[in-house]
Amino acid sequence: MSSAVATQETVAPAVEEQDKPPKEPRGFNTFEFALMAPTLALLALLSLVPFFTLIAMSFSDVRTLGRIRLEFTGLENWVDVFTNPAFWASWGRSLIYFTSIIVLEMVLGFAFAVVLNNLIRGRSLLLSVVLLPMFLAPVMVGLLARFLLDSTIGLYAKMLAGVGFDTDVFANPSTAMPAVILIDVWEWTPLVALIMLAGLTSVPPSTLEAAAVDGAGFFRSLFNIVIPQMKAVILVALLVRSMDAIRYFDVITATTNGGPADATKIIPIRLYEMAFRFNNQIGQAAVVGLTMLVFSIALANVFLRFFGDREVARAHVAGGDH
Amino acid sequence: MTSLSNPFTRRRFLTGAAGTAALLALPGCGEQTQTPTGSQGGGGDPWKQFSGTSINMISENTPPTAAIAANPGPFEQLTGIKLNIQQMELDKVVEKVKLDFSSGTAQNHVIYADPYQILAPLADGLADLKPLIENKDYPPVEKGIEDFIPTQMDALGKYLDADKIYALPYDAPTMILHYRKDLFEKYADKMQSDLGFDPMPSEAMTWDQYYSIAEWFNKNAKSDVKYGTGHQAKQHDSLQADFSNVLWAYGGDYFEKGQELGGISSEDPGAVTVGSDPGVQAATFYKKLIKIAHPSSTTWDWTGLADAFLAGQIAMCPNWHEFAAGEEKQFPGKIGYALLPKGPARRAHNFGGTGIGINGNAKDAELGAAWLFVNWATSPETQLMTLGSKVGGGTPTRNSVYELPEVQAEIDKSPSKYPNIRTAPTVLKAWEKENIGLRPKVPQWVQLNTIIFTELSKMLTQDGDPAATMASMQDQMQKAMQ
Repeated sequence: MSSAVATQETVAPAVEEQDKPPKEPRGFNTFEFALMAPTLALLALLSLVPFFTLIAMSFSDVRTLGRIRLEFTGLENWVDVFTNPAFWASWGRSLIYFTSIIVLEMVLGFAFAVVLNNLIRGRSLLLSVVLLPMFLAPVMVGLLARFLLDSTIGLYAKMLAGVGFDTDVFANPSTAMPAVILIDVWEWTPLVALIMLAGLTSVPPSTLEAAAVDGAGFFRSLFNIVIPQMKAVILVALLVRSMDAIRYFDVITATTNGGPADATKIIPIRLYEMAFRFNNQIGQAAVVGLTMLVFSIALANVFLRFFGDREVARAHVAGGDH
Repeated sequence: MTSLSNPFTRRRFLTGAAGTAALLALPGCGEQTQTPTGSQGGGGDPWKQFSGTSINMISENTPPTAAIAANPGPFEQLTGIKLNIQQMELDKVVEKVKLDFSSGTAQNHVIYADPYQILAPLADGLADLKPLIENKDYPPVEKGIEDFIPTQMDALGKYLDADKIYALPYDAPTMILHYRKDLFEKYADKMQSDLGFDPMPSEAMTWDQYYSIAEWFNKNAKSDVKYGTGHQAKQHDSLQADFSNVLWAYGGDYFEKGQELGGISSEDPGAVTVGSDPGVQAATFYKKLIKIAHPSSTTWDWTGLADAFLAGQIAMCPNWHEFAAGEEKQFPGKIGYALLPKGPARRAHNFGGTGIGINGNAKDAELGAAWLFVNWATSPETQLMTLGSKVGGGTPTRNSVYELPEVQAEIDKSPSKYPNIRTAPTVLKAWEKENIGLRPKVPQWVQLNTIIFTELSKMLTQDGDPAATMASMQDQMQKAMQ
């Protein structure tokens, strides 16, 4: 008896094992990976090679005349950069700039998207008009701003003077940074609005109708139904804009060149100076570049933590396993 | 799904990628030395020996290059060489030249060799022109090297080794005083009675008098002009250029060896001296001057300042003399040019000239063709052509051009077919050894320049203390030189 039971117990798992589909090979040990390998190799070439080179440069004195030569200098570049108050001042300005544009662009972009989403007539036309600024090259936007705000010939400068604000905005450290922030917001809020609009249109109307039937008002629906369902879209907008904002360069170069009094010298401008203008500071520029990379990765992780839908992601992974 | 018999593993994949990275990170091979080549034929005409070759020139967008780019025909017909010219802002020229030198190639054969940003830090990347000048297979340099204005030859063509010539003087913008002659004449008597001295710009004018005149215009001539003076005080190279005139006039300089460093220069520039008493006095005066200047001065580089002058917003300003061509169009006969005011020590005119040289990586026919172009572009005939060009008008760097009867005849004419030549009497004096202002030719100049204009910008826009500004400048410059 006991042996029969034992036999049954040992047979049953064996049958279950036979019913299960064979375990699929995963990871690098697959045909799919082999198909992707050439592209991955190319990507590795384009990203890993510069990355490792950058790390090597950050520990070296880099000479470029004639041919590139790296002489190992240990932590010298890192110490020089991290003990330079101007480097931290640039990071401070970068954070002010970064926070300002992300907050303004996300809020304004969402507001535009809500308005556009609720329009019944003329939505396409208005959307086209709203999107226009983002089709301009940033350097063109910078030059336009410089000319429009030029105190000698600028239309906007005359208009501002007409309402009593006759300070040259790029001449004053307290107005130069807000000016370049607003220029960026003007250009890139439309992109955020477009992404948000795509998210808004994907919210099922039936859910909103059900909420309305249950007595939810506009703002309650917005904050309790729409925004939670748009977390993935908000994440995309945040990642796109923040990665771009960290390397903001063109507009400042075309308008203030980092001035006045370094008021707009954010970290990419300092990096450019060290790498391409100053003599033999490429090693230090590599250190600055690596700090930007670390900041980008950390920021992306923070955004993923707050806006990434981990449950959905886990469900996707689990579904994939079956 | 099918597994492969020889699968990738994570370790193998990463090992391969790292190996590839290490392989590609290995230093490339490059050659620096080029030997000048002989003739390639051309029926005995030395100008035709490289017919069929193409060369590239990279240059800042300056008047002589604009003039040649607008009319490359004479060179191409003379030599049969195809000439491609790229013009851009100086920062971009420096960046591209550095990349060209680093890659060990000669993407650009002829190089606009700014003495401070290219010649000093990258002299090893430029070809020595002396063997080419002396090579009998090439057409001789017309009227010889001696025809170039001597201070310019040293400042633009040589670096550390007096026996080597890296570039030939090509353009020579120099800061002089531009003023509205019509306004000065209109108000001369009243100004003289109010101020107690002759206000007409002359060699007797001091910086203090300049300040008084500017202030007088601010208070008494608003119906004709908004401000007496304007300056190129943006956080930019221009701010250093403008301030240096005052610094030198007050007896200050950036290094112990002073003006000597602007010539052939020295490997040891001596101690940084910008924070000395004359430096502080110069900064104190400059801050005072900018306070009464057009308020947008701190946003203007030289082009912004020239635009404001053309728009009639200011009565006078120190600016590069090559803006004269545009001014003559806007206010024919109404603009005067004078030496800059003098300070307690001297008068000084910041010299912004540049030579053209040849990429040291250029070889064979390209090297020869590039030399033919350098020789042609700096010849008296070409300089006369660029002087009269409708797209801007360069400035000759050769004495013989200024002595030509047709050039002499145009000096006092307005409008003139050579508008820039109206500044000739002034700039010829400005180029004299005691009047020229030369920045130090040291490899670290770009960084020093950034320190200088950044500290000055802080002083001007944040009401900084001049003594503290100059002390900070001195401290940072010393660190950069270590």
